[in-house]
Amino acid sequence: MAGEARYLDPAVVARLGTIDLKARTIVEGFLTGLHRSPYKGFSVEFAEHRQYIPGDDLARLDWKVYARSDRHFVKKFEEETNLTCHLLLDVSGSMAYASGGVTKLQYGSYLTAALAYLMHRQRDSFGLMAFDDSISALLPASARAGHLRAVLLALERLKIGAKTDVAKPLHDLAAAVRKRGLVVLVSDLLDDPVRVLDGLKHFRYRGTDVIVFHVLDPYELQFPFEQAARFRDMETADEVMAVPSTVRKGYIERMQGLIATYKRELGLVGIDYCLLDTSQPLELGLMSYLMTRRRVL
Amino acid sequence: MFGVSFLSPLFLIGALAAAVPILLHLFHRRTEVVIDFPAVSLLTRAPIEQHRRRRLREIVLLVLRIAALVLLAVSFARPYVAGAIAPESAPVTVVVADTSMSLSAPGQIERVREAALNAIRSAPAPNAVALVAFADAATVVVPATTDRAVALAAVPQLAAGPGGTRYRTALARAAELIGAREGRVVVITDLQQAGWEVTDEGGLPDGVGVEVVAIPPPSSNVAVTSAERRDRTVVATVQNYGPDPARMPVALMVDGKKIATVTVDVAPLSATDARLNGAIPAAGAAQVVVDDATGYQGDNIRHLVLEPRPAIEITVVVADPSGATGGLYVERALAVAGGGREFKVDAVDGRVFSSWTAEAVSRQGAIVLVGTRTLDRTGRALVKNYLANGGHVWLTLGPDIDPATLGDVIGANLGVIAAPVTVMGGTIMVASDGRHPIFRPFLNPSGALGDVQVDQHRRLNDQTGRTVLARFSGGDPALTEQVVGQGRLLIFTSDLDNHWSRFPLSPAFVPFAVETARYLTAGRQQKQAWVLPDVPRGIVAAPGVATVSEGTTAPYLVAVNVNVRESSPATTSLEEFTAGIERTSRAGLPAPVNQAREIENRQRWWQIGLLVMLVALAGEGLVGRRAT
Repeated sequence: MAGEARYLDPAVVARLGTIDLKARTIVEGFLTGLHRSPYKGFSVEFAEHRQYIPGDDLARLDWKVYARSDRHFVKKFEEETNLTCHLLLDVSGSMAYASGGVTKLQYGSYLTAALAYLMHRQRDSFGLMAFDDSISALLPASARAGHLRAVLLALERLKIGAKTDVAKPLHDLAAAVRKRGLVVLVSDLLDDPVRVLDGLKHFRYRGTDVIVFHVLDPYELQFPFEQAARFRDMETADEVMAVPSTVRKGYIERMQGLIATYKRELGLVGIDYCLLDTSQPLELGLMSYLMTRRRVL
Repeated sequence: MFGVSFLSPLFLIGALAAAVPILLHLFHRRTEVVIDFPAVSLLTRAPIEQHRRRRLREIVLLVLRIAALVLLAVSFARPYVAGAIAPESAPVTVVVADTSMSLSAPGQIERVREAALNAIRSAPAPNAVALVAFADAATVVVPATTDRAVALAAVPQLAAGPGGTRYRTALARAAELIGAREGRVVVITDLQQAGWEVTDEGGLPDGVGVEVVAIPPPSSNVAVTSAERRDRTVVATVQNYGPDPARMPVALMVDGKKIATVTVDVAPLSATDARLNGAIPAAGAAQVVVDDATGYQGDNIRHLVLEPRPAIEITVVVADPSGATGGLYVERALAVAGGGREFKVDAVDGRVFSSWTAEAVSRQGAIVLVGTRTLDRTGRALVKNYLANGGHVWLTLGPDIDPATLGDVIGANLGVIAAPVTVMGGTIMVASDGRHPIFRPFLNPSGALGDVQVDQHRRLNDQTGRTVLARFSGGDPALTEQVVGQGRLLIFTSDLDNHWSRFPLSPAFVPFAVETARYLTAGRQQKQAWVLPDVPRGIVAAPGVATVSEGTTAPYLVAVNVNVRESSPATTSLEEFTAGIERTSRAGLPAPVNQAREIENRQRWWQIGLLVMLVALAGEGLVGRRAT
């Protein structure tokens, strides 16, 4: 508990201003907590020399130039973009669910924004694709300076969509991606597991690494309802009359079965799977990302 | 004008009750908690109901409940399709068609239909038209309507039935239809002479014109007017109503098979018996059929019941059965009635009778008291109770009667003077009214009671409530009748045992005894032969054989036949017919018949409505049960 206390509560993040601020807050806070620089081991490329001015980091002084010219120059490097990352965010109707203060879509948006911010700082190329049963927003991967802003703006303008069809956008994107990279999927995966897995495996077969953030609400995991009610599907509007005490056990078994299926099947093909419930800190997602990135690189 | 109307439209307010299930449905919907949830698909395998199906079911239930309530209200409102009802003020032509048995000769009913069609077509243009069919009763086939096509379409329904002709009944029905408005009546009939039943009432209002279309009767008619079984023979009476001799085959049919056939020659306007011998079953029904192709077809068959009527039990109570003549004559006389099957006579002395149970006594159709001297107190009480509870007793005041105990036996003071009166040279018995059933056989001079000599008798004091049916020539009552309790008591003031007279040896004794016994037991006899329109309760008024089940008696067969009064083709003249129509004043006429009610009565949509409502309720029950 003491260790988690330093992380930001998603509900607190939600109260912050723009998504830009949210992303920065999440990432900077996260990076501050890390003992080691996440940039270590990154390959960099020399860009130019400039004259030393007081205050410059002495570690950046080019001593060889000083030996030759007796003048102080500092080396200026251009960090190499070494990863192309595709952020896939599910905006289907089911992502609008929230038992507390944060919907799954909000949670996923914050996570996606934080990842984008982190990638931007790492000079990675990143793109965004929002989808429900079709692609509703698409920003191709780029490492340009203004790209982060475009991504964050797109995230801020996302609207909830219709029915989930994870497989189709995955197949579409897998067919379009030509360069090996990383695909980050943020979704509640409430779709046919066979089709979802098929879509994700499509990336693996093309050599693309994948990390799946399975975002669920705590109520979806625990089904803590007490009163008999009519449960209306947020995507299909199908309604089911249910007495929770009667159906809870079966529901939880099926939900855990679904999670276990994803975990097992994705693990078999080398896809990282991270289950997040919307009450958990977003930093856990960033951590999973960094671990995956390290493995990829 | 042609739409649906209602006799009691106020009941339609009850249809507002349909709002109750609607409100309940809406209220029920509002109170239900609905939770938006993403993983509903994981709930589908739970043992709960898909909402779409449930919702559909609820809608079906709602519709069924609303339909049931609305149908109930509509049924009570008595809907009917008005068609072309004539306005109450419109003049009307009532076509009255005779469909009695006397229209059953070949070609007659076709002529009736043709005449009805002509009458409807030729009715004055502004007139509404009504169609009435009549025989024993008059039925409105089409109420007054301006739609001639409706009336014309109903004409083929006219068919000759087994009923008799009742002109007054038909005219009364026509008068009801006309009411206070202008009208005319077209009577289509064969002018059957027997159609003016004196007991019927009915006429036409003043000013209502009558037009008669006469359907000619057949030139001759041969009918089976009676049929009865006599041991192994069925005797049928075949009557020839025609002016020429007729030679007719007559057949006896049992269960559709011809048992016997005989050909009879019948003189003009005469009758003859046809004796049909064959293997006649002991019980069941039979028909005697005459092959008369040109006359009325309805009287060619006579139905009869083959088994005899069950014998009526009669007990003759005597003083001493060991005596030579105690009750012997009356017992023997009754035993021969109806070929020996009409009565079951048993003579017992007072001591044996006293040992009977009340139930055994109550089975008796009648008790003949010839001697009372050996009746003890129990026996006297049995007779008294039997009489008080509706029994029939024939008391003779001969020498074996004990006048001192008669009050105990009968339960009433009869005013009997104990000392017998002796008339030297005898006296004769004279009926007070020769038309009385007991004395009807003696109307013929050859069977007169005048030859009967009675030497002794007892006198009765004058009493109110006692009817003297016959007197002796000296003026003393010979046969009296009175009511005692719920029963009936006949008193013969002399002797039936050849002590005080030689009456038992007279030829008049047997018919006198038999008719007296028949008169006493009339209410206990099962009537096996009926003539239309009279039929036992619960039996369809149609010729044939039917089973009667009534009260405590065992089921028995009855034969129902047409009234042969219709068999005569004799007709009345047009002038006589017209003169026979009574005219009534229009003043004080009842309101015109409510045609809407008549139409509604015929259509009976309310019954269909209630039936559909029951189906809806049954469906609601089924769907509702599946929903729970």
